[in-house]
Amino acid sequence: MIVSSKMRRLIRNQEGWTRKMFEEGMQMKKTLGDDKVYDFSLGNPDVEPPQALKSALIDMLMQTTPGMHKYMENSGYQSVREGIAEYLKTHYGLPFTSKHIFMSVGCAGGINILFKSMLNKGDEIIVPNPFFWEFKNYIENFGGIMKLVDTKEDFQLDIEKIEGAINDKTKAILINSPNNPTGAVYSEESLKELAKLLYRKREEGKEIYIVADEAYKKIIYDDAVLPNIFEIYDLVVSITSHSKDLALPGERIGYIAISPNIKEIDLLVSGLIISIRALGFVNAPALFQRAAGMFQENSVDVLEYKKKRDILYNTLIESGFECVKPGGAFYLFPKSPIKDELAFVKRVQREERILVVPGRGFGRSGYFRIAYCVTMEKIMNALDGFRRIGKRYY
Amino acid sequence: MVISNKISESMKSSSWIRAMFEEGEKLKKQYGQDQIFDFTLGNPIAEPPDELKRELIKIVSSDIKGKHRYMTNSGYEDVREEIAAFHRELSGLAFTKNNIIMTVGSAGGINVILKALLDPGDEVIVPCPFFVEFMFYIENHGGVMKLVDTKDDFHLDIEKIKGAITEKTKAIIVNSPNNPTGVVYNEEELKELAALLNMRKKKGQRIFVISDEAYRKIIYDNIRFPDLFPLYEDTITITSHSKDLALPGERIGYITVSPLMKNADKLIDAAIFANRILGFINAPAIMQRLVGKFQKNSVDIADYQKKRDVIYDILVDAGFEVVKPEGAFYIFPKSPIKDDIKFVRNLQKHHVLGVPGIGFGKPGYFRIAYCVEMDIIERSRPFFKEVLGRTKH
Repeated sequence: MIVSSKMRRLIRNQEGWTRKMFEEGMQMKKTLGDDKVYDFSLGNPDVEPPQALKSALIDMLMQTTPGMHKYMENSGYQSVREGIAEYLKTHYGLPFTSKHIFMSVGCAGGINILFKSMLNKGDEIIVPNPFFWEFKNYIENFGGIMKLVDTKEDFQLDIEKIEGAINDKTKAILINSPNNPTGAVYSEESLKELAKLLYRKREEGKEIYIVADEAYKKIIYDDAVLPNIFEIYDLVVSITSHSKDLALPGERIGYIAISPNIKEIDLLVSGLIISIRALGFVNAPALFQRAAGMFQENSVDVLEYKKKRDILYNTLIESGFECVKPGGAFYLFPKSPIKDELAFVKRVQREERILVVPGRGFGRSGYFRIAYCVTMEKIMNALDGFRRIGKRYY
Repeated sequence: MVISNKISESMKSSSWIRAMFEEGEKLKKQYGQDQIFDFTLGNPIAEPPDELKRELIKIVSSDIKGKHRYMTNSGYEDVREEIAAFHRELSGLAFTKNNIIMTVGSAGGINVILKALLDPGDEVIVPCPFFVEFMFYIENHGGVMKLVDTKDDFHLDIEKIKGAITEKTKAIIVNSPNNPTGVVYNEEELKELAALLNMRKKKGQRIFVISDEAYRKIIYDNIRFPDLFPLYEDTITITSHSKDLALPGERIGYITVSPLMKNADKLIDAAIFANRILGFINAPAIMQRLVGKFQKNSVDIADYQKKRDVIYDILVDAGFEVVKPEGAFYIFPKSPIKDDIKFVRNLQKHHVLGVPGIGFGKPGYFRIAYCVEMDIIERSRPFFKEVLGRTKH
């Protein structure tokens, strides 16, 4: 057989209908025209990087510094890491230095090298559900086991359930806030409770890490502040992506930040160096390391996203949908009006040409995900469709 | 412990390389950068071609909408089409964009292909000496590396390869021009390899050739690089633009799957999927656009050839036994004493830094990476002489 049986199993398990839906959508766009299809299925933001970033890139390239495209240390440019550490120091109030920062090939690359460094075969990672499906692959790539734990009705952490899921094999809990697919921002209170639980486990001799996927950390609404996870708990490793905040998803740039409170830092960094080499990333792309380093304070226009969220959220609620108001990211995760959300999603696609993703793609049937990182025009044109759907079901 | 046992072991086994690297750094601080002849790293000083630099500025300045966004996981269609056209021209075979997957360098590409091919326990044959990272790449995905010695001239030993094939053999990784030896496999030996593998195929076993062609364009004396695709149908090549376009830090390369391969579409789909789940997602966007147009370009090969000539002359003149490399920018002389680590330490005392052969699975040799300034190569001449004189007496 040309493809390994392990791989065939992976492909079978998840590419069936998601792929089919995606392809049907593409087909629809081809036959009906882009403007007749309302595609809310992808987290591929329709925004451009800040103009200043573009100018900075051009400046860098015009200067043609010798060696600017060469290999550097596997962990990334020292100067870039120093700049990021400085930024984190100011924002989190902890003594970050360049050694706490490890540049990575996006967030996905960062999580993979981290798990490669951390996981023994059979180690368990707790993941609050609903969840970004790729986490499962990232964990299983290295022989880890994903333990899903349902969140509460409002998609906040259910500490009791998490406690119930912890055992001797638990190595870490992977949180993603602001969350994909729900947009939930975990409250400071719930994170403190989580920390309390983990410290209690520590007394019982169990060291559990928090791995925080902070890809959406800058996209947060209503003056909400992302709780400072580094202050709340000590064994924290966060992963940042510049796919969303600087709108550079195709360039694959992000970084790992290791809490200054982790005593085994040198060991972890050595592990990451081996892992980034072994997995073939080698280093984060050189040019965009430098660019990202200069724009830590920047972000895309969050107000614009907030407007989009408000319009869509209000329309959904007025039309009868049940939906938790998201505090960040650019996703809405309403309840499906019928139990079989796949049937619902297909009907919406057929009748309204609105493309959304069924909740089972995120471990939660009975819901569907709307990614509203599209143009305002697209959203406005789709509103009547959502209203009609509401009328049909409510 | 924060890290896994497996990673901890990998760290131990590579710790002496690190120790050596650190000693070298110390020497540089002590005596000054220009008094140390550092031949340890394959990180070329060459700059990308000027027209490539200009094109990069053009792309970055352009107003193409969404040029930093995600694209299909396999990479931009038009770029893949440009690369397919290049391959059509090379071999006359019917490559299309579907045969090409853009990757995060060749290291990323090999990982992706191995993830798609290997089940736990599957064996991958690697001719030795070898680029030591191959071992990581294979073991990442549960594979088992089977090293097979090359001949004295570092060419493939087909008999030994034959002896190493078992029912578990899934692939063989060839790397020509070779790191660390600089040897280029000739058409004849590759045909013999193909004949051997085709024999297994008749018995129902498919063995894939994964050809790491990172140094393909760095080739000397007007020899022709034998294209593997017409020779063997289950061929996958991995291309990097780290060396030929001098873009190692940007991580750009691609996988090419033979158009003659049966069920190639299944392998290609699996590789695209692996690209996603290993966290690469896609090759860096801007670099993809850039390299499509530069498939025929490369850094100054004549310059590398001059350096090869000088370093070869220095080593032979000093009395080293060495195979003359035909490509890449490495030379792999025999250590005058059996203990190559000890010999490399002696070299260090004479301010010359190289890598012991054991780092490439071949004790008793050492590697010199001559992708440095010509001045450093020329000035190293007396030191090689001296160290050999002392080691022998």
